[in-house]
Amino acid sequence: MNATTCRHQWDMIDTTYGFLVTEKCFHCGMISTEFSLDPTPPLEEYREGDHTWNLVESAQTIRYNLNCRSCGLRVDLKGLLGLMLCTGCDPVCEVDVLRRRFEPERRWVYVAFGFLPEEKHVQLTDEKIAALEEYINQRRRSRTSSIKIVPGRMVSKIQNCYGEVIKDTDMLSLTPPNS
Amino acid sequence: MKLQDMISPLELKALTHVEDKEVEGIFISDMLSDVMSSAKAGDLWLTVQTHKNIVSAANLVDMAAIVVTHGKSVPKETVDLADRFHVAILSCDGSNFELSAKLHAIGFRPR
Repeated sequence: MNATTCRHQWDMIDTTYGFLVTEKCFHCGMISTEFSLDPTPPLEEYREGDHTWNLVESAQTIRYNLNCRSCGLRVDLKGLLGLMLCTGCDPVCEVDVLRRRFEPERRWVYVAFGFLPEEKHVQLTDEKIAALEEYINQRRRSRTSSIKIVPGRMVSKIQNCYGEVIKDTDMLSLTPPNS
Repeated sequence: MKLQDMISPLELKALTHVEDKEVEGIFISDMLSDVMSSAKAGDLWLTVQTHKNIVSAANLVDMAAIVVTHGKSVPKETVDLADRFHVAILSCDGSNFELSAKLHAIGFRPR
């Protein structure tokens, strides 16, 4: 089937477990994020050009691509750092404006972030975000709610954002099991 | 089976509002990565994790509900977020194993 006329039926493929490593240059404040298969991130600071990188966090996550089982179209999502549910923290943020608009109809807004710095990594195109949104809604099969995915560039001030990207970090428990 | 109909026989305690959702399968993991890669819509998710991001992950997949096992206490911010996004959280004093045995006894099988 022609990919332009196909009503895509998406599957998650190429699922790879790895680590989302976040580093910061304490001289200029730049944040760098990478997907790594190495479970041990660089604990010592190191120099790279003008930057001195220090580890901020390493969290487990997955990377995947999409494949249409009808037409075979593949969507490369290597540029996807992760998804974050918008819970509303900044009334002037475009994402929060959308959240308020969609919440009454149970359309939940998630932000798709790309890797940082933006100029060093290929960022997700609108077409890829649309395919991801379609995949997630097909996977949910819900008639009462849906997911809207927006690009990370819509967040007005990421440093003020209260949302958290879905990844395996801070997943701790401070209470012992009952049994 | 409807979620509401499972609360009493499984001795679950509802921590949030519980909608009348159909439970189609069971998913057991303590990792959000596993939920994103492998959980199915309609699954009942058994976990010991209580971080608020369990709500984001369960909502993304449209899981039937989250059951926090081993009697772990769930932070208020997690419960509040779940109520806002209509994600049901229940708790259970027993372990994953004990709850799995009860689920098997009422007819659930791997799908």
